[in-house]
Amino acid sequence: MMDVRELDELLRAQEGDAGCDAGVPIMDQYVELELRGEDPSERFPGTAIHLRVCPGCRADHDGVLEAARRFGGVEPD
Amino acid sequence: MSRRWVEQLHSSHPRYEQAAARLHDVLRRAALHELHRRRALLPSLAGPELDDVAQQCAHDAMLNVLARIDDFQGLSRFTTWAYKFVIFEVSSKLARHTWQRLPPSRTDPEWAELPDMAAGVRPGEQAENRERLGVLRNAIEQDLTPRQREVFVAIALNDVPIDVLALQLDSNRNAIYKNLFDARRKLRGCLAGAGYPLTDEEAQA
Ligand SMILES: [Zn+2]
Repeated sequence: MMDVRELDELLRAQEGDAGCDAGVPIMDQYVELELRGEDPSERFPGTAIHLRVCPGCRADHDGVLEAARRFGGVEPD
Repeated sequence: MSRRWVEQLHSSHPRYEQAAARLHDVLRRAALHELHRRRALLPSLAGPELDDVAQQCAHDAMLNVLARIDDFQGLSRFTTWAYKFVIFEVSSKLARHTWQRLPPSRTDPEWAELPDMAAGVRPGEQAENRERLGVLRNAIEQDLTPRQREVFVAIALNDVPIDVLALQLDSNRNAIYKNLFDARRKLRGCLAGAGYPLTDEEAQA
């Protein structure tokens, strides 16, 4: 049985959501702001909103963040 | 570090072969790590198959990286930029894998029965909840376009992953998300219009 809070979650559609495509070109910059301890929502507010709602993009974001954290320092030689 | 990657990944560079092999190796490791991270979605894939998928993801990401290397503007570290390509490959290959094994009932609109959202309601105490869900159910059936209904039912109610539905409907993640977003807004509007706003702002609007 869904109450108001669960319905609000199920129907989450927030003003300013940038959508999926907008995050693709900036995902690398977005995670690096996080790795530096900065708040990416200041520079990319629409994507910050989107990542809270879209599980597909959130999974990609988490994957890039994890890869950058774990394998970030690799050099070509 | 980023500049050295970009220089060495041009085929005329004397260290091209080594740099390309090194990038491929780290992309493969990143893909494998990501596949393990998303393991819950992949109960049917065994260890050696995961290695194969990681290899394919690294191969395809490598092609993308090399094709677009002149687009790299140095706004992030080169490796972070490259990992983006391999993570997108992991997503897309996992979606295809899931889609090929998905029971048709999960996305076929003919089968998309609306769950009884008022099930389990306790009499009296939750009458308002029951009425609110009745309004929602009607709005799903009557106010959404067929496409919005199909997308909303599959993703929001039946938990079909967005990329899997995009494959099923021969669409893409962004377009499906837009359908879902529009459906949610419309449903919120219907609830508020019927006297069941979900937020204070909707109550005041
Ligand atoms: Zn998205």
